[in-house]
Amino acid sequence: MTIVGKKSFIIMTILMPFLLILLLFVPILMKYINDKTDSSQMRIAVVDRSRNYGGAFKDNGRYRFELLQGDSMDKPFDTYKKASGRIDAIMVIPEDVLERQQVDLFSEKTLDESTMMYLNQCLTDTLSKAKIASFHDPELSDKIAQSQVNATIKSKKWNENGEEQEQSATIASIIGLVLAFLTYTFVLSYGAMIMNSVVEEKTNRIVEVIVSSCRPMELMMGKIIGVGLVGLTQFAIWVVLMGIAMGVMGFIGVGGDVSSSPEAMGMNMPETESTVASMMSAFASINWLSLLGNFVIYFIGGYLLYSSLFAGFGSAVDQASDSSQFTMPIILIMMVALYAGIGCMSNPNGPMAVWCSIIPFTSPVVMMVRLPFDVPWWQLLLSIVLLFATALLCIWISARIYRTGILLYGKKRSFKEVLKWIK
Amino acid sequence: MNFIDVNGVVKQYDGHLALDHVGLHVPQGAIYGLLGPNGAGKTSLIRIINRITRADSGTVLLNGREMVQDDIANIGYLPEERGLYKKIKVADEIVYLARLKGMPKPLAVSEMEKWLERFDLTEWRNRKVEELSKGMQQKVQFITTVIHRPQLLIFDEPFSGFDPVNAEQLKREIIQLRDEGSTILFSTHNMASVEEICEQITLINHSRVVLEGKVADIKRQHKKNLFVVNVAGEEKVEPKEGLFEVVPNDDVNGTLIKLATGATLRDAIAHLNEHHTLTGITEKLPSMHEIFIETVQGNA
Repeated sequence: MTIVGKKSFIIMTILMPFLLILLLFVPILMKYINDKTDSSQMRIAVVDRSRNYGGAFKDNGRYRFELLQGDSMDKPFDTYKKASGRIDAIMVIPEDVLERQQVDLFSEKTLDESTMMYLNQCLTDTLSKAKIASFHDPELSDKIAQSQVNATIKSKKWNENGEEQEQSATIASIIGLVLAFLTYTFVLSYGAMIMNSVVEEKTNRIVEVIVSSCRPMELMMGKIIGVGLVGLTQFAIWVVLMGIAMGVMGFIGVGGDVSSSPEAMGMNMPETESTVASMMSAFASINWLSLLGNFVIYFIGGYLLYSSLFAGFGSAVDQASDSSQFTMPIILIMMVALYAGIGCMSNPNGPMAVWCSIIPFTSPVVMMVRLPFDVPWWQLLLSIVLLFATALLCIWISARIYRTGILLYGKKRSFKEVLKWIK
Repeated sequence: MNFIDVNGVVKQYDGHLALDHVGLHVPQGAIYGLLGPNGAGKTSLIRIINRITRADSGTVLLNGREMVQDDIANIGYLPEERGLYKKIKVADEIVYLARLKGMPKPLAVSEMEKWLERFDLTEWRNRKVEELSKGMQQKVQFITTVIHRPQLLIFDEPFSGFDPVNAEQLKREIIQLRDEGSTILFSTHNMASVEEICEQITLINHSRVVLEGKVADIKRQHKKNLFVVNVAGEEKVEPKEGLFEVVPNDDVNGTLIKLATGATLRDAIAHLNEHHTLTGITEKLPSMHEIFIETVQGNA
């Protein structure tokens, strides 16, 4: 009851989707800013002992190459010292560069990855051209160019009417992972919320007043259901806001920027337009209704399971600071579930994925990863039934712990003692 | 007719017997004291009466019939360890707890207004509970206990944390609630308040009832043949062998004498009249405080 009224909670509810979207765009934005602002040119002196390949390195906005002549060629370090501050690195191309396929780069500072990549690319291009030329076959380079194949696999999936829809394993995995993460964070944070509320009621002793008005079981369930509904509402708000935000962004063309970003990162990715289109169509091919429906079912099941445990163990402690001995095992199980989920991404229908998505303690998270990959209905059913059965059992156990725990003050309880209360 | 009849209640915690065949009989409309040293089992018994915990055996009858869960709406309970939600407003707190007891919201609000007025808390109604002083929080807690006009009120140490002025007001409120038809059970160590407002008591020690009955009867049973004698002038009362001895005591206004066994008050008065100008003689009944200590220590 007091949770919803908090300002921080309302703000988080509204801001969260924007934060998530922001999180998505921050790396792109940062890259963009980095590229724009880092205008300083890097000067690299080239000592060309092969007397042939010095021209392999082309100047561009970021790099400037200077071929060194005369004595300065023998002692690169002296040259570097002399030109102190004027050049950033010295590259030495050995005489037998074509055979060794290697050049040496000297510098005082560690050079960044993109510099190395650029130099490597220049060198590889030039050397392979030289090699091709060494065969003295004028048509060879054409032949090689023609034999370059860039194969792609377009994965399509039939819907009930036999219509083809593009699908993407990557997108499905990402969606699965996002849902798994959502379940994990939701269940954990709302579980912790329940626990705090139980401990708070216990420490400020109002619990004795409350249980003289209603049964402990009613209090516990009221709390669990109340917070659960808050969670679902919050989730619904997020879905709606995310939808709106995505729509607005697509409309004002931010989407276009996103699609061009791989190029900005220096990767060679052709047909960006069609990638976006196929992403969209893969998005559309996912059965969102059943996905979200199942998400809600698993969220409820997992939430009931874990939050009842949190409530039960929360009632056994006097202060929030003592709660870690009981929360630790619960969090560990949740972590196992999350890692299992991540592990199952590569093979969502493998034995580990199947088992972990049926075992109730891991299923709420792991099943999320599998959901976008069309889980057999019997597995889904079995998993849901098991999950809810276990949740009910946990509620029953926790209710018994809770009943005893909330009215006991004083010494710290051990796990063993708490388990005795179940009887 | 008794409003509460507790018969032969036994409650055992982990190898420790908290209540050993305890009985408690509270008449309708009484202010009944449940006394006992710390750890005697008072709170355990109270928790059984308001159904927070169950007795291992024994029965609790309310109005002559077995108690059911719905009866708790008819009980107001002020626990010894006070507790309120600290972060919410006074008015919301009171209304919430009243509704938990099954009060419809409009009634809860209008009753709350009355009580806030009565305790001078109206201007605090929109403040958070944590902003209130301890005494004010105690008042809020009291309001939440009585707002639904329960037939049975259980107060555990109601006067702790109140200053004398507020304690006096609280006492008046308790008596008024009794006059309006509530039966009041209260548990305390504060014997002065017991003498002032309780008609009957039960004293529990070591999980058992060791003393019960009307306060006046109990005092009479425990009387020690002590009398306060007042004589004219500066005369000093001397003890008389075989008749009475003088008990040194600074608390009484006069001289405290104790009749010897077999001696009568009549003989004592005759003797005193002979040697002094007797201006008054009153029997000194033991205070509940003395009886409590005597019983608990004698019982230990």
